[in-house]
Amino acid sequence: MTDLLGVYIHIPFCRQKCFYCDFPSYAGLEKLFDDYAAALCREIDRRSGLFSACRVDTVFFGGGTPTLLPVKTLTSILETLQRRFSVLGDAEISTEANPGTIDRETLRALRSAGFNRLSIGVQSFSDRVLQAAGRIHTGRQAIQAVLAAQAAGFDNISIDLMYGLPEQTLQDVSSSLRQAVDLPVSHVSVYGLKVEETTPLEAALSAGRVTLPEEDDELAMYELATRFLPDHGYLRYEISNYAQPGKECRHNLKYWRYQSYLGFGAAACSFFADERLTNTMDVREYIVDVNADKSPVAIKERIEKDTAMAEYVFLALRTKEGIRFAEFFHRFCVDFPSYYMEEIKTLRQQQLIYVTAHGIGLTVLGMRFGNRVFAAFLPKKNK
Amino acid sequence: MDTAHIRNFSIIAHIDHGKSTLADRLIEYTGALSAREMENQVLDQMDLERERGITIKAQAVRLEYKAQNGEEYMLNLIDTPGHVDFTYEVSRSLAACEGALLVVDATQGIEAQTLANVYLALEHDLEIIVVINKIDLPSADPEKVKHEIEEVIGLDASDAILVSAKTGLGIPDVLEAIVRKIPPPRTNLTEPLRALIFDSHFDSYKGVIAYVRIMDGSIRPGMKVKTMASDKVFEVTDVGVFRPALRNIDELGPGQVGFLAASVKNVKDTRVGDTITDATRPAAQPLTGYRKITPMVFCGLYTVDSVDYEALRDALEKLQLNDASLVFEPETSVALGFGFRCGFLGLLHMDVIKERLEREYDLSLITTAPNVIYKVYKTDGQVLQIDNPAHLPSPQEIEHIEEPYVKATVIVPNEFVGAVMELSQEKRGEYKDMKYLDTTRVMLTYHLPLSEIIYDYFDRLKSSTRGYASLDYELTDYQESSLVKLDILLNGEPVDALSVIVHRDRAQYRGRLLVEKLRGIIPRQMFEIPVQAAIGNKVVARETVRAMRKDVLAKCYGGDITRKRKLLEKQKEGKKRMKQVGSVEIPQEAFMAVLKID
Repeated sequence: MTDLLGVYIHIPFCRQKCFYCDFPSYAGLEKLFDDYAAALCREIDRRSGLFSACRVDTVFFGGGTPTLLPVKTLTSILETLQRRFSVLGDAEISTEANPGTIDRETLRALRSAGFNRLSIGVQSFSDRVLQAAGRIHTGRQAIQAVLAAQAAGFDNISIDLMYGLPEQTLQDVSSSLRQAVDLPVSHVSVYGLKVEETTPLEAALSAGRVTLPEEDDELAMYELATRFLPDHGYLRYEISNYAQPGKECRHNLKYWRYQSYLGFGAAACSFFADERLTNTMDVREYIVDVNADKSPVAIKERIEKDTAMAEYVFLALRTKEGIRFAEFFHRFCVDFPSYYMEEIKTLRQQQLIYVTAHGIGLTVLGMRFGNRVFAAFLPKKNK
Repeated sequence: MDTAHIRNFSIIAHIDHGKSTLADRLIEYTGALSAREMENQVLDQMDLERERGITIKAQAVRLEYKAQNGEEYMLNLIDTPGHVDFTYEVSRSLAACEGALLVVDATQGIEAQTLANVYLALEHDLEIIVVINKIDLPSADPEKVKHEIEEVIGLDASDAILVSAKTGLGIPDVLEAIVRKIPPPRTNLTEPLRALIFDSHFDSYKGVIAYVRIMDGSIRPGMKVKTMASDKVFEVTDVGVFRPALRNIDELGPGQVGFLAASVKNVKDTRVGDTITDATRPAAQPLTGYRKITPMVFCGLYTVDSVDYEALRDALEKLQLNDASLVFEPETSVALGFGFRCGFLGLLHMDVIKERLEREYDLSLITTAPNVIYKVYKTDGQVLQIDNPAHLPSPQEIEHIEEPYVKATVIVPNEFVGAVMELSQEKRGEYKDMKYLDTTRVMLTYHLPLSEIIYDYFDRLKSSTRGYASLDYELTDYQESSLVKLDILLNGEPVDALSVIVHRDRAQYRGRLLVEKLRGIIPRQMFEIPVQAAIGNKVVARETVRAMRKDVLAKCYGGDITRKRKLLEKQKEGKKRMKQVGSVEIPQEAFMAVLKID
C-alpha cells in the first residue's frame, strides 16, 4: 500500500451518555483511562511494522469524548503514533471535543501537541434542547469553547449540530445555525436525529415521555440547514457536512472515497486492501487482549468485489463529487455507466441522480432520499 | 378373488368429524401397515394436509380382512376430502364404490357437509352405513345424533355403529358391517374391459399413474388399452394395488380398485372420469362419469419477480398433473405483467394451490382478489363469460349482467338464527327455508350470490356464530344483478389488477373501505399518492398516502459502513416484495386487500 493512510483513534469514554447515543462509548470508566491509553500505544506500536511504507496524512481522535482524557495522555498517544508511523508534517490532526470538557488551557496544550483541527459536539445552542438530549453542557459553554479554541490558535474548527431532537423547534434550529455562522467555525456537520434501538431516548419515546418534532417540521429543519449554510459560505460537500472552501474534513473524506484507514482502540475499525477489521467493543477485553499481545480484532470481514463496488457507490454518492466513472474504472475495472445502465436509467427518471459525461451524483431530491439510491446499487444477488 | 368377496367403499364426513382417523384405524386393524409404519393420517400424504388436518386429494388403500364368517375379503377404501371445495373429488371417489361409511361426530351431530355428502352418495346409489364417532368424549350424545340422522336425512339409524376412532372402539363392527351391508361389485366377466379413472398422479419414472376401478373385465400388463373419451391407445406396463404404497400385481380383476401405468406422458390423455377399455375389443358404451369439474373461483396469479413467470407456468403444469380441477390460462395485466388466470373449486382450493406453489416451488406470488364468472349480455347480442373484472366491457356496451347463485345450507344452534339471517340478507341472500333438526339446531337455506360467499360470507358466518355454523353450498343458477366495476386508481392511474365487480348498492361502501385499507398498506413513497375508488369516471372514495419526507442515513463513518450496508440491504429486501406499478410501489398483500376488508 503506497496510499496515504488515515488513522482513527477511538476514545470510548464519556462523562455521561447522551439519551440518543448508541455509539461504543461508556460513562463511569475513569479508572480505566491510564490502562486504556497504555493499551492504545501498545496496539499502535505492534501494528506499525506492517505499515512502515505508508504515510499518514490524517489522524482523527473520535469518541466518546477524547477530551475527557487528560491532555498529556492524548499527547502521548499522538506522540506514539508519530514515532511509529510517518505522519506527514501537513497532516490533518483532529480531535473531537465536548464543550463541557475543554478550557483555554487544555485547548492551548492540544494545539501545541500538534492537533490542528477541532470537532466540537455542540448539537444545539438551546439549553432546553441540550438538556432534553442529555448533553452535559450549555449553549453558552459551547460558544465559549469555540472562542477559546480560536484563542488557542485553532483555525480549523468544526461544530456538530443536530435537528429533530426532542423539544426542538424550527426556531431553535434557525437560531443555532445563525449562532454557528457568527462564530469562528470553518466547518459544520448537521445530523438528523435517528432513534436507535436500546437507547434511553427510544425507551422514553415508546413510554410517551418525550415527543419528537413532527415530520414536516423535521423536514423544514433539514431544508433550512441546506439553504442557510451555503448562503453563509459553507458548501455542502457531503450529505450532512458543510465547509468553507478548503476546510473539508480530509479524514472523513477518506471514508467516503473508500480509501484505506487504520483504527486503533476499542471498537475501532480498519479498512485496507479487501478487509475490514473491527476491534472488540469491550474496553476491558480490549486492554486485556492488547496486553497479552493478542489481536483485539472481533470482526474480520472480507469485502468481495461486488460488495466493495456497492459500498464505494453509496459512500461516494454521499459527497458532492459523486462518482467519477474514470476513478471507478481505475478501481474496479468496471465501466460504471454500462454495468449500472438499468439503475442509472430508473434513478434518473425518478430525478434522484444527475448524470454527466464523467460521472453521476445525487440531486437535491436524491440527497433527501439517498437510501433509495444507495439500495439500488447493492449487489444483484443470484438472478 | 371372486367379486363376491370384494367391497369397495368410501368414508364421507363433515370436516373434523374423524374420517381420516377412522381410515387409519381400519388400515391398522386389518394389518395393511404394521404399527411401526403407521403414521397419523396415513392417507393424508401432503404436508399441507397433515398441517391443516384436511384431506385434499382422494387416496385409496386395499385392506385384507378375515370376516367372522371365516372368509377372506378384499376391502378397497377410497378416502375422500371433507371440505365443500372438494365435493367434486368426493363425487369421483363415490363413483368407484358400492357403499359409503357416513361418519358423524357424536358431539356435533349433522353438519352442512354431512348432508351434502350424503346426497352425493345417494345420487350414486350407494349403500350407506352410519358410523357415529367420538363416543368416548363426555359430551357425546349418540341418541340425539341418531335422531337427527333419521329426521333430517331419512336414513334408518337404529343400527348405527358407535365408534371411537381414537381409541379403536367399535372398529371390528365397522369392518363386519362393510362385509355384510355393502353389496359386492356387480360385474360381467364376459363383457369387454371397462375401468373408471377416478384419480391420477404423475410419476417421473412411469408417467401417469391412473387410479381405476374395474367395472367389467380385467387389466394385465402388456395389454393394449384405449381411453374412450380422449381416444388414445396405450400399452399397460404396470398394474397394482394400494397397500397404501403402490404394489404391483399380475392382474386387476372385475370389481377391483387399483392403479395402472402405461407410459402416459400427458395427464390430459387419461382424464379423471374417462373410461379405459380394451383396445382390441372395445366396449360399446363408456361408463357414466360423474359431476364435471366446474371451477367456481378465479383469480390472477403473478410472480413478484417477472423472471419467475416460466417457473410459475412449470409449477402450475406440475400441480395440474395431480389436480385436474385446477385450470389456468395465461393473462396479462397492465399492472402486474404476465401471469395466469386460474380457476379453483373454491377458496380453500385456491389457498392450497397458492401455498403449494410458494412452498414446494419457492415462488413469491401475487394473487389478485378472487371472483366468479359473470355472464355479460352485450347490447350487440353477444354474451361474454367474464372471469376477470379488468375484462368487463364498458357500461354502454352492457345490456345486463348475470352472476352465479348458490343454494347455501347453514346449520347452526338456534340462538344464532337471527345473526345468520341478518348476515345472509346483507349479503343479498333470499331466504328459502328453515328446518329444526332437533330442539336446538336449525338448518337454514338461502339463495345467495356466489360472489358474496367467496368475498367474506364464510368468515363472517363463523365469527357471528362463534364458529358453530357449518356451511355447504352448490351452484344453482345465474341471475341478473345490478353490478358495476369498481376501479382503483393509484396516483391517478387505474390499476387493473385491483378492479372488482360489485353490486351497485354496495359499490360506494366497498370503495371507501378499500381505499382506506390500501392507504394503510401502501408504504409512503417520495411523493403523495392519491388512492381513489371509481365507478366509470366517477370517483366514489379517496384517501391519500402521505409523501415520505426523508429517507437517508444522516451519518456514515468508517466504523459503521458494514452496518449501514446491512441496513440498506434490508431496505432493498423489503422493496423486492413490492410490485412497481407505474411510479408506485405496491406490496403483495395490497392485491389481496380487495378480498379482506372489514
